[in-house]
Amino acid sequence: MIARVAYAVRETWASFRRNLPLTTAAVLTSAVSLLLVGATFLIQRAFENLLIQWRGDVEMIVFVRSDASPEQVALVDQTLRASPTIVDVDKLQYLDKAQSYEEAKRIFAGDPVTLSLLTPETIPTQFKVVPVAQDPTLVRSLADQYRTLPGVEAVALAEDEFEVISTLSGFVRTVTLVMSLVLLAVAIALIWNTIRTAMFARRREIEVMKLVGATNWFIRVPFMLEGLLQGLIGGVLACGGLWVLNSAWSSGVAGFKPGTGISSLVVPDGYLNSTMLVVLAIGAAAGAVGSAIAASRFLDV
Amino acid sequence: MAPGGGRFVPVIRLDNVTKVYDHDVVAVRDVSFEVPKGQFVFLVGQSGSGKSTLLRLINRSERPERGEVWVAGRHLGDLADSRVPYLRRSMGNVFQDYKLLPNKTVFENVAFALEVIGKPRHVVDTQVPLALELVGLAGKEGRFPNQLSGGEQQRVSIARAFVNRPLILLADEPTGNLDPGTSEGIMRLLEEINELGTTVVMATHDHRVVNEMRKRVIALDRGVVVRDQERGVYE
Repeated sequence: MIARVAYAVRETWASFRRNLPLTTAAVLTSAVSLLLVGATFLIQRAFENLLIQWRGDVEMIVFVRSDASPEQVALVDQTLRASPTIVDVDKLQYLDKAQSYEEAKRIFAGDPVTLSLLTPETIPTQFKVVPVAQDPTLVRSLADQYRTLPGVEAVALAEDEFEVISTLSGFVRTVTLVMSLVLLAVAIALIWNTIRTAMFARRREIEVMKLVGATNWFIRVPFMLEGLLQGLIGGVLACGGLWVLNSAWSSGVAGFKPGTGISSLVVPDGYLNSTMLVVLAIGAAAGAVGSAIAASRFLDV
Repeated sequence: MAPGGGRFVPVIRLDNVTKVYDHDVVAVRDVSFEVPKGQFVFLVGQSGSGKSTLLRLINRSERPERGEVWVAGRHLGDLADSRVPYLRRSMGNVFQDYKLLPNKTVFENVAFALEVIGKPRHVVDTQVPLALELVGLAGKEGRFPNQLSGGEQQRVSIARAFVNRPLILLADEPTGNLDPGTSEGIMRLLEEINELGTTVVMATHDHRVVNEMRKRVIALDRGVVVRDQERGVYE
């Protein structure tokens, strides 16, 4: 068993070095594609910061002043529930000060100046309104009515606030996803070709191995490890790239004027780390898939 | 009763074997014979008469269109692809072009045959020198194939075929690239291996070698067995 493992590792490494130019091409392509895959995840997560307050078909938010009396809050609640034909009362949600503050921490993650102005005591509470019908004019007509209620600080409509961002986010997601998938396919094809070439270069050895009774798995494993290693190295490079990109982006947007929303487009470190793990896993899997196809297909030499 | 006598279990048996290659080229047609354990058999005939095809059917590099091939009591038609490597471990193969790996030393070439079937280091370290001793290459372990004569290279390939102590040795024109004197040495070596109990099947069109050895001769002509003779000659 030890002899087999030692053999596989030795052969993998020797082959890896022998095919350096092709290997480099395969590794770099997988690195670029994995970088895009990772970037797709990060961009989505960053946009989510902006969109989180509108999650779940929320079309209107009624902000209530932090110094509003409980009676005033109850009045807003009653008024909203009085229009069951327009407001979906089952989905009507009230965020108290603590909940609103938690949400604000995410929205203003990259905007510490704005965040520092808010405290759990001074933050407005909010009613999140999901309309029954997808008719923006009805909601809009109600909004004007709520603005005049005592204790209401502001009424925000999804249409005004986030349509652009939502569209932009969807577009960016589609483009990066398609590009990363195409590049991932190219990376798998390049790894496949590298392994095929490596097997062709060693066809005499493979022929002898088959004649003396080496099993197909014994012959295959070093080649599959080689492909897996290529994908994994591509993944490591992509992780490095993601870290650099994310650091540059985070410090870049921190310079934006507070409150513009741009500075919300940052990603917490925990999410970056799990994205890197996913990228490494995808890289290894792509390498294994590419080389496994090559190793099965070209074993008959 | 097959030539060689019925008191032996046949280690190789072909029953009405026909092999057709692409484009309807018939390589062997309706061939039947048995080889008892420990026998030395020559397959003779012109190029293209089907000698190599028979060897490739026996080591299951090819499968017949019709008929059955049995090796060591196993019907190769029923043998799963995943079992073929284990079948091959019971046979050694020797070729006209030696098929040595040029970037490995003599020792490494022979050791390779044991390493790739997962034999541990201590087996390799004891068996390889024994095999090299047998073929008369002791002292040349560190040479590379291109530093050896043709006869020596063929001895390395025989050591590689024999190092796992196979039941059967299949040799395809092993003297094809060698001069008569060198061929004689190779034939003495194959005879010695045969005397150690390994069944040897050798395809050749080398008249001299066949006529000197006086072993069983199976003659093929365009894929058909035309003669099967104990202690035969080439003709």
